[in-house]
Amino acid sequence: MTTVEGSDAADRARRLQRVAELLAEAVTPEQVLDAILTEGVRAAEARAGSIGVVSEDGERIEMLAQIGYPPEVMANWQEFPIDAPTPMSEVLRTGEPIFISSVKERNRLYPALADQGQEGHALVVVPLAVEGQVFGGMSLSFDHDIEFEPERREMKVALARQAAQALARSRLFAAEQAMRERMTFLAEASELLASSLDYNRTLRRLAQLCVPRLADWCAIDMVGADGAIERLAVAHEDPEKVKWAYELQERYPPDPAASRGIPQVLRTGEPDFLPTIPPELLEEAIGEDDELRRIVDELGLKSSIAVPLIARGRTLGALSLIAAETHPPFKQADFELAVELARRAAVAVDNARLYREAERGANAARALAYVADGVVLLDRDGIVRHWNPATAAITGVSEEHALGRPVAEVVPAWEQLTSHVPLLAPGSAPRPVTVPIVLGGHERWVAVSGVSFGGGTVYALQDVTEERALEKTRSDFVATASHELRTPLAAVYGAVRTLRREDIQLSEDDHAQFLEMIESEATRLAKIVDQILLAGQLDADAVELELTECDPAEIAAGVIESASTHVPPSISLNLDAERAQPVACDPNKLRQVLVNLVDNAVKYSPQGGEVVLRVESDNGSCRIDVFDHGLGIPPGEQSRIFEKFYRLDPQQTQGVGGSGLGLYICRELVERMDGTLTVESEPGRGSRFSLVLPSTR
Amino acid sequence: MHGKGSATPGSNSARRVLVVDDERAIRLLCRVNLAASGMDVLEAEDGRSGLELARKERPDLVLLDVMMPGVDGWTVARELAADEDTRDIPVVFLTARADAADKRLGEQLGGVGYVVKPFDPVSIGDFVERVLSRIERGEREQLRREISSGRER
Repeated sequence: MTTVEGSDAADRARRLQRVAELLAEAVTPEQVLDAILTEGVRAAEARAGSIGVVSEDGERIEMLAQIGYPPEVMANWQEFPIDAPTPMSEVLRTGEPIFISSVKERNRLYPALADQGQEGHALVVVPLAVEGQVFGGMSLSFDHDIEFEPERREMKVALARQAAQALARSRLFAAEQAMRERMTFLAEASELLASSLDYNRTLRRLAQLCVPRLADWCAIDMVGADGAIERLAVAHEDPEKVKWAYELQERYPPDPAASRGIPQVLRTGEPDFLPTIPPELLEEAIGEDDELRRIVDELGLKSSIAVPLIARGRTLGALSLIAAETHPPFKQADFELAVELARRAAVAVDNARLYREAERGANAARALAYVADGVVLLDRDGIVRHWNPATAAITGVSEEHALGRPVAEVVPAWEQLTSHVPLLAPGSAPRPVTVPIVLGGHERWVAVSGVSFGGGTVYALQDVTEERALEKTRSDFVATASHELRTPLAAVYGAVRTLRREDIQLSEDDHAQFLEMIESEATRLAKIVDQILLAGQLDADAVELELTECDPAEIAAGVIESASTHVPPSISLNLDAERAQPVACDPNKLRQVLVNLVDNAVKYSPQGGEVVLRVESDNGSCRIDVFDHGLGIPPGEQSRIFEKFYRLDPQQTQGVGGSGLGLYICRELVERMDGTLTVESEPGRGSRFSLVLPSTR
Repeated sequence: MHGKGSATPGSNSARRVLVVDDERAIRLLCRVNLAASGMDVLEAEDGRSGLELARKERPDLVLLDVMMPGVDGWTVARELAADEDTRDIPVVFLTARADAADKRLGEQLGGVGYVVKPFDPVSIGDFVERVLSRIERGEREQLRREISSGRER
């Protein structure tokens, strides 16, 4: 039955005024919608009403709110295509209001709706537009059929205009607020990203920051050096769920070649945004796995965003957000925020990496600058690209002079230096080759190893001149010691062999001499061996002295007395000792030193002559001189004779037996008694060894 | 092994060997054992007196130590070779120096033998005899070359 609306114009204006007042007070979209749907619908004398808006992509209509419709009806109309054959769709497409007087008319105009039930009567859909832009529509349903007169129509349109303005304003306000929140979030995130160079930790905290404000779930995956996907962080408000997510990841590791989701984002560098996760996609992922189905159902995944972390054209990782149990499905603004967040995170990661690389580079440069070994980098053309200070020291060629020049020009001996050096592959065990080379007029021994790689060759140089000299000294010592051992050994062995001859009859005198020879030469052997051992102990600082107060003159007298029994007759051995002040010394060691000095004096006086041992006290110290008129010591060698293994005549061609250790041992012992041992000598005229010990009085 | 190939005691002229060594023990060993092989032994305790004795006595062979105070064995060998009167006296080095370089030097200085201490004095007489026999057979140069080719005795 069709009726004509009975209210008069004044009444309508009053009702509109009331709605306008309410809408003016409303701030949020919810308040606006509430005002429209309660007061607006009542003002229009409608039974029910709804507000729909065009979706962001302009493809669909989303129902924002409704009143008076049965829930089962509205359930089907939460969202529908803008090109659906419905009055709302048409209004949004055309921007023109539609007035329908009855269900019959509706079904005639929209046959597709015929099966939507025959209930209902008059229906009005008016566009919601601001500045000519239609962004939604309002439907009003009445409880009776109505033939809408122009005035009435005008009233509905006016109501819609008010509603549109209020709604647009509130939505703008909400959008601005959301924008502010996003900006706040981005500011917080940026601050976090800038807070540390430990980007792994920072990204984990960033994921935490995203939940629950931005999403229910946030995950960050990085591309490892080997291209593998590495899950860096998973965040959810509930730590239990995070644990569970990691277990899930273990059980269902991502397929790097997958055509969707994170693997694809990492591979292509393109974001993947699913405002609504299509059920078929989940089905495809679940397959026949009932356990997985249960998990996916429990997760309640609604919407997902996966954006790449890209810096300087390289995809470093991906940030993914999921809206599930609490968060509303993502909108374009969420996606844009995620893109911006990912961009900033990528820059932060890139900066941190660059910083680390720069730091590593700086550390490497420091290491190369201070390492004791020479390091040389040649490019494939043999041009010097690195020449560290140690190399400069070894070769005598400065870095400035070497860099950028062919190495053969920089060091002419380079060919000689490296010709026998095997070029190894990276990672091989080094096989340094020691070669002699004359650089700057000095012969140096350099251990060289080389590694060849794609970009050229790197050489390590080690100056082993000192080691080699020491090695040579040692081997010389071994040779010398063996020479020294050979003569007494020859005597002992020869004497025994001779004594055992049965074909000859030795005279009694010879027989006695052989026995004596065995005894004295064996003693000599023991003495040499003792010196070698003592030198070793002195080296290891394992010699203990027993310092007591003793009379140096008495010790000197004892030394002369025992020496006089075996010096050659050509030697005249004299003691020149006054009563000396006592000294603190180890008497046995002092005796040993004096015996050695006297023996040396005798040995180096092959032409005979006087050997004097003089003891005198002087200014709180005691001075003991041993002088001879023998061969003497060339000036250049006087400072060296106390060196271990040093022999006055290394070739020993003029030499007198000795282990090369006697004077070394003497000086070491004297210094351990707080004394000094020095020498003055003139070749051909003799030597004077002076031992000074502090007096105790 | 003594006796075999050694000079027969009482033969018309006994071999005369000069031993130059600063070590009394080595001189004693040589004296007793060479005498047992029927040789006459002269002794010098340093290079200088060794040279003097060699010039004066013209021994059949010199057993020469290297490391001696004053004039060393190398110098003695060099001076003997430089003197027309003594250059033909065969020199056998008897030394503790066992390096290849030393043996080469001994060879260069014209030695006909190189004995490294310790040595067996019992066979020294045979050794000297064998050296002298080979020299008489004209093998002096060969003996010299054998020094650094490793054959010591």
